[in-house]
Amino acid sequence: MIILGIESATSQVGCAIGGHEGVLASVHSSRGKRHAENLTPQIEFVLEQARIRMDEISVVAVDVGPGLYTGLRVGIATAVSIAFGLGVPMIGVTSLDLLAYPVRYCSKLIVATIDARRGEVFHANYLQVPGGVQRVSEPAVSTPDDLAADLIAHGNEALLVGDGALRYTETFAGLRGVDAAEPNIAYPSADSIVQLAHAKALREEFVTPTELEPVYLRKPDAVEIENQKRKLS
Amino acid sequence: MTSGLTLGIETSCDETAASVVTSDNVVLSSVVSSQVDLHARYGGVVPEVASRAHVGLINPVISQALVEAGVEPKDIDLIAATNGPGLVGSLLIGVSAAKALSLVWGKPYVGVNHLEAHLYSCFLEEPDLELPLVVLLVSGGHTILVSMEKHLEYTILGQTLDDAVGEAYDKVARYLGLGYPGGPVIDQLAETGENNITFPRPMLRDGYDFSFSGLKTAVINYVRNNPDAPIEDIATSFQEAVVEVLTVKARKAAIETKAKGLCIGGGVAANSRLREAIFDICLEDELHPFVPSRAYCTDNAAMVAATGWRRFLHDGPTLLNTGANPNLKLPEKVHL
Ligand SMILES: [Zn+2]
Repeated sequence: MIILGIESATSQVGCAIGGHEGVLASVHSSRGKRHAENLTPQIEFVLEQARIRMDEISVVAVDVGPGLYTGLRVGIATAVSIAFGLGVPMIGVTSLDLLAYPVRYCSKLIVATIDARRGEVFHANYLQVPGGVQRVSEPAVSTPDDLAADLIAHGNEALLVGDGALRYTETFAGLRGVDAAEPNIAYPSADSIVQLAHAKALREEFVTPTELEPVYLRKPDAVEIENQKRKLS
Repeated sequence: MTSGLTLGIETSCDETAASVVTSDNVVLSSVVSSQVDLHARYGGVVPEVASRAHVGLINPVISQALVEAGVEPKDIDLIAATNGPGLVGSLLIGVSAAKALSLVWGKPYVGVNHLEAHLYSCFLEEPDLELPLVVLLVSGGHTILVSMEKHLEYTILGQTLDDAVGEAYDKVARYLGLGYPGGPVIDQLAETGENNITFPRPMLRDGYDFSFSGLKTAVINYVRNNPDAPIEDIATSFQEAVVEVLTVKARKAAIETKAKGLCIGGGVAANSRLREAIFDICLEDELHPFVPSRAYCTDNAAMVAATGWRRFLHDGPTLLNTGANPNLKLPEKVHL
C-alpha cells in the first residue's frame, strides 16, 4: 500500500509518500504562502525521491482542516483530482489530529491549536491511548482567552501544540501546569498524515473524492451577517 | 499526431465549468454548474461562498465533462485552466485541479487568460472567422473593446473607466428592487417598456473608452424624482442608452480598424437587445457580425479549452510551479 499525504491547512504546505514501511519521502515549505505554486512540484519531487511511480499510489490522504481557507482548498482540490485521476480512494484527516500525533507520548491533556486569524484559534483536546492519541473534544473555534479560561477550569496539566498557541504565547504563558510544545512541531506535517492514514487504511476508512468534506468551523461572513439579519427581523 | 483533445477548466468567478474540445474547435462536452442561486440572496458574488462551492463541484463537473464527451483520460492531450483574472480563491481551485490531473495523467498543462478565452468564444461556433476582428467584451467585471489583428495578438482600443456594463445592470436592478443578477431581469422587463426617458449616453462620441457610473446615477436620480414612472419604461430607456453607447463605439472601431467582422462576448453579450443591435449595425456597414450562442457568452470551459490549445501550440506548456493571477491583463501586442 502506497499513500500520498497532502497537507496545506496552515501557512505551511507539504506532502509525503509512504506505506507499510513508514514515510519514504516528504517535503514541506512555509515561505510566502505559495501553496498553489509549490504543491504540485513537491508531489513530483517526493515521488522521484522515493522512486515511486504515480500509478503505484493506492490511497490519497489529505488534511481536511480546520485551517486557512485558501491554502486548505488548494490541498483538497489537488488531492481530490489526484484520487479521481488515478481512480483510488481517499482518507481525510483533521489538521488538529495531525498536530496531536507527534506529541502522542505526552501523558498530559494535549490541546492542539491552529491560528484561525481574526483573533481566534481552532482547537481540540486529546488524551493518550495505547498506540496513539484519542480526540476527546470536537474541533472548535474560539478566542485564545476563552480557550485559556477552559484550561483553567479544567485544572489538569496540559500541553499546548500548534501555531495558535505560538501566536498567543502571552495568553497561555502564565497558566499553571500548562506548557507549550516546541515551535518546530507547530505545523501539521504531511508525515503525520501518511502515518495516521496508514492506520485508517488498514481499517478501510476510505471516502470517495465526492464524499470528502472540508472542515471550516466558520460560516462565510456574508452568511453570518444574513443569518443575524434574519434573526433580528 | 495527436487529435489535440483539450480538457478545459473554468473557475474564475461563480461558475464551475469543464469541457472537452478538439483542436478543430468541436465541442464534445461543455458542463457548467452555475452558483447564481447561491449568491442571489447576497446581491452579488460572495468570494468565500464561491470558493466553497467550487471545491465541492470541481470533481463532479470534470468527471461529467469526460463522460459526456465519451473520452478516456488517455485520449486527452492537454489540460487547460483559467489562471486569471478573477477571484483568487476560486481561480486556485481550477488551477490546482488542472495541475494535479496534468501530473497524474502525464499530460501538459496550460494556464489560460479568462479575457482571451472570451475573445475566442466566437471561434467555437465559427472557427473560420476572418481577421482582423473587433470584439466587444462585456460582462459583470469587464467592458473592453479589442482589435484582434492576428491570432493571439490584440490591441485594447478602449475600456470602462468606472463600472463594467454588467455591474451597472446589477446596481440599477438592485436600486429598482429587481434582485440579482440584474442583466436578465432588466432585459426581460425592457421588452414590455417604452424608450421614452432620455438618459445620458456617457462619452458617446468621445474615443473608445466607456463610463457607466454616471448613467447609473442618472437612472437612480430619475427614479427618485419620478417615483411613479413605470419600471418597464425605466428598464427599456436604460437599456437603450447602454446599447447605443456600446454599438456606436463598436461600429466606429470596426470601421476605423478596417475589421472584417464584429464579435461580442462575455455575460452581457447574452442580452437580447445588444445581440439584435449588433446585427443591425453590421448589416448597414457590410460587416460580418458574430454573436455566439448565449451558452458561450457567459462563463464556460469550452472557450478555455479552445484558447488553451491555441496558446499551447504557440507558447508551449505552463510550468507546474505557477499559481493564479487575479489581476491578469489581456496580453497586448507590443507597438513599436
Ligand atoms: Zn467571464
